Amino acid sequence: MHPPRRFDQLDVFADRPGAGNPLAVVIDAEGFDTAAMQAFANWTNLSETTFLLPPTQPEASYRVRIFTPRQELPFAGHPSVGSAHAAINAGLVLPIDGRLLQECAAGLLPIRVDGEGDRRRIFVRAPPASIVACPVDAATWQAVLDELALGALPAALLDNGPRWWIVELADEASVRGMTPDLAAIAQLTESTGAVGMAVFAHSSHPDYQIVVRAFCPADGIPEDPVTGSANAAIADWLHRNNALPARHYGASQGREIGRDGRVDVEVDDSGAVWIGGQTQTVVHGTLDW
Amino acid sequence: MIYPFFQLDVFSQRAGMGNPLAVVLDAEPLDSAQMQAIAAWANLAETTFVLAPGTPDADYRVRIFTTRQEIAFAGHPSIGTAHAVLAAGMATPRDGVLVQECQAGLLPIRVNEVAGSRRLSVRVPRSRIVRFADGNDHLLRQALRGRQSGQLAPALVEGGRRWWLAELANESDVRTMQPDFAAIRALAEQTQSLGLCVFARSPGQPHGLVVRAFPLGVGINEDPASGAANAAIAAFLDEAAALGDLGDSYTVSQGREMSRDAQLLLHIDSERQVWVGGHCQNAIRGTLRW
Repeated sequence: MHPPRRFDQLDVFADRPGAGNPLAVVIDAEGFDTAAMQAFANWTNLSETTFLLPPTQPEASYRVRIFTPRQELPFAGHPSVGSAHAAINAGLVLPIDGRLLQECAAGLLPIRVDGEGDRRRIFVRAPPASIVACPVDAATWQAVLDELALGALPAALLDNGPRWWIVELADEASVRGMTPDLAAIAQLTESTGAVGMAVFAHSSHPDYQIVVRAFCPADGIPEDPVTGSANAAIADWLHRNNALPARHYGASQGREIGRDGRVDVEVDDSGAVWIGGQTQTVVHGTLDW
Repeated sequence: MIYPFFQLDVFSQRAGMGNPLAVVLDAEPLDSAQMQAIAAWANLAETTFVLAPGTPDADYRVRIFTTRQEIAFAGHPSIGTAHAVLAAGMATPRDGVLVQECQAGLLPIRVNEVAGSRRLSVRVPRSRIVRFADGNDHLLRQALRGRQSGQLAPALVEGGRRWWLAELANESDVRTMQPDFAAIRALAEQTQSLGLCVFARSPGQPHGLVVRAFPLGVGINEDPASGAANAAIAAFLDEAAALGDLGDSYTVSQGREMSRDAQLLLHIDSERQVWVGGHCQNAIRGTLRW
């Protein structure tokens, strides 16, 4: 039997335990084969479980493999932020000038580390997004948007790895008070190859500038607590439309399902979107598998 | 606060084959809302919280939470919690028995050390047949469509919570079933039950029964290893005088259809009380900060 491996279960995009999106991380994952990784990710029952490995490319700081309960993913936001947090805490890597390079199935991705200790924020550069032209019939839209107060921008389908429908609503109250028609959203997303639909609005709250909710009913997740890729797609859509609240803003997500996630979003001079935030180590221990 | 924490694999001979359970020890500082929040965050079928007992007759007290609510009793959380309590050295069996205090009362847990491996079994509050299915149970018929039925008619049973139990003709009827989740969900809602369990006798196999459980009533499609549901099946077979070759002790195979391979041990004692048990693996051991 393999000696116990270090294991952390983290809360990502969270300023305190329980506010964010959980992530399981197996720190010394050498010797785990693909089938064992998939079996463990199925057993944790979390949206993602990651496995830290030595890099295979000399420029990379570490390598990570990312699994949902059902399949391996080339890249995802909250697993990348959380994996970097675990790798630093475990002493596997040391950021150089606040930078790390993550090797994952999608390639080498830069990670930025701001600050230290409990206040540390980790950012990952999201893959570039493209707009997908995808006509949707009026009846489907009518079912999804029925009685919602819409915002200034039109709805759009963006692809930054996963595809997200992005819908701006009139104000924060419209987002927070929304009762989603999950059957209609499932129909919309399934018929257009989207993972889900994210709604957002500008906010005048002093602590955040955008409020977000993300629904993935066709994927078995009625509402996701805090979503890296959806926040990146929203930032890209705002940037394309010259509607960013600032180059660097905060997004609030998850309160409607008992969480209180906070995503820091930055659009750099090249137009690339960075998403990041704080991570809490909730479970710290060892894994026998 | 920092709490001792386990995430165990219950009814499992090898990590990953059973039903996971999160256990938080020394949980006194947590209030009910925090326990519920931790259970929702852990996202497992159940999370338990171990407390000092409220009575000298018990070795410890446990509160059991699903991701949505607190429940009075469940089988796999009882087995897993007792295993964590023993692994942490918080209690010592007296005459091979631990007494668990939970909302359903004081329940004995037998501890057997066999060849260096620990096997636990809990006495489950006995369930009763509410009624057998009849021609008007259309949703049940829809859920079982295409399956050949076994010797007993399906029945609704109750032991704290309700289950529909349906015996199928043989093991392959159980293993190849493609459950109609919509029908089972509607059946669970209509009859205020957890959902449907199907089972079949497996003559010639190491296990006496093969079981699958579909607790759509609590939002779970399929459960990899079900303590209370298996105890309900044993009580049902006993009440219907249909144990037959299973006798008063048999093993159950569950979970292979979802890439697990759980093994449960059922025993009906001389007082017709039902015990369910098995092995546990300590998969994750450490601390929880909340």
